[in-house]
Amino acid sequence: MSFDLWTLGFQAINVLLLVWLLHRFFWKPVAATIAARQADVATLLQGAEAKRSEAEGALAEIEAIRAGLAAERDALLAETRKEAEAARSAVMASARAEAETLKSAARVDRMQAAEALKASARQDAERLALVIAGQLVARLDAASTDAAFLGWLAEGLTGLSDADRRSLAGATPEIVSATPKDGAAQEGIAKIVATALGQPVTLTFRADPALIAGYELHSPHVTLRNSWAADLARIAASLAASDAAVSDAA
Amino acid sequence: MDSPLQSEALFMAGPVPIMPAVVVTWAIMAVLVLGAILLKRRLALAPSKAQAAAELLVGTVDGQIRAVTGAAPEPYRAFVGTLFLYILVANWSSLIPGVTPPTATMETPAALAAMVFLSIIFFGIRKGGLRGFLRGFALPNPVMIPLNILESVTRSFSMFVRLFGNVVSGVFVIAIVGSLAALVVPIPLMVLDLLTGAVQAYIFAILSMVFITSAVEKGAAKPEES
Repeated sequence: MSFDLWTLGFQAINVLLLVWLLHRFFWKPVAATIAARQADVATLLQGAEAKRSEAEGALAEIEAIRAGLAAERDALLAETRKEAEAARSAVMASARAEAETLKSAARVDRMQAAEALKASARQDAERLALVIAGQLVARLDAASTDAAFLGWLAEGLTGLSDADRRSLAGATPEIVSATPKDGAAQEGIAKIVATALGQPVTLTFRADPALIAGYELHSPHVTLRNSWAADLARIAASLAASDAAVSDAA
Repeated sequence: MDSPLQSEALFMAGPVPIMPAVVVTWAIMAVLVLGAILLKRRLALAPSKAQAAAELLVGTVDGQIRAVTGAAPEPYRAFVGTLFLYILVANWSSLIPGVTPPTATMETPAALAAMVFLSIIFFGIRKGGLRGFLRGFALPNPVMIPLNILESVTRSFSMFVRLFGNVVSGVFVIAIVGSLAALVVPIPLMVLDLLTGAVQAYIFAILSMVFITSAVEKGAAKPEES
């Protein structure tokens, strides 16, 4: 067994040198690389954490926007529903009013048409009555008819008030007949009128076939209608008044 | 068979004999340093397999230092890590035919133990100053000063003896078995020698760290605490 101090010294120096060399070329660079990677990973993790926070923030923002959209949609729906309801009510009211107006107009039109129809029918009836009356009169005895109408004329004159009689006396009344009268007939008529009025009156005579039959007296103040035409006109007026009363009642 | 305890100089550098252990150590140094330089050039954030292995080694050494000292590993990493790496490679160099591991000669473990002894003093003084370091010998009371001084020497000596004894015993066994049955039979013993070499490297490095930590803690301890 031997122990060489030179070798001991060499080995001690070798170990120290190796410690220094490996510190410079191995331990320090590798540890620095590990630290750099750890720092890099930490940075990446921080970045990832920041991204995650950012993503969570964005998610929360989207949730808020979504909630806001839902609320806005509900509000819009409610408002639209309200507007639609109002529009519907307005349209319904307008339609109802229009329908009411149309109904009223239709009712008026219907009534007017009915009135016009009635009037037309009445006129037709009057014309028919006149024709019928004319034809009936043509079949009657003209003298008897004349005498009857002259009698009724006398009754009418007799029924006049004193003031009307005085006004007739001062005027020149016109006697209108359905057929022209000759002189003798005119004298007979004048005599009957004078008898009925109680005083002689100057008369003028005129023929109007529209009277159908009968006599009418016209003066500026007094008119005495005594003819089929006047009777028919009176009947027609009475019927019209009766119809108007019925319509007003409806 | 030559005794492993006997060593002949390979050559003389003037009056200085250059032993095989020194030459093998130089070779180990060359391999380690060249490997480190090559690795350093290729260091990247995305590691290669070699870099991953190197980082695993550095991380393991750092973890062991933290576990023993409870402190940051930077001040001790290079010394303790290099001790481990050198002893490991030196022990495993016995696998190369014709090479006697440097740790199988007394000078190399003695030099390593001497380095540990000096590093204990260095780290102790750096942490607590010369007074603090010397005060550590008076703990728990001044009566213990002679024993503490003796202990500081003997524990380094025990490291030297332990490393030398384990490695040289392995070399002895393999040499004896090899002389009896040179083929195949020594292989299990060589595998066992690999395990022994790794364990001894680990033990030497850990004990170094333990002793350095003990000196640092004693040096940093305040008088009233002691």
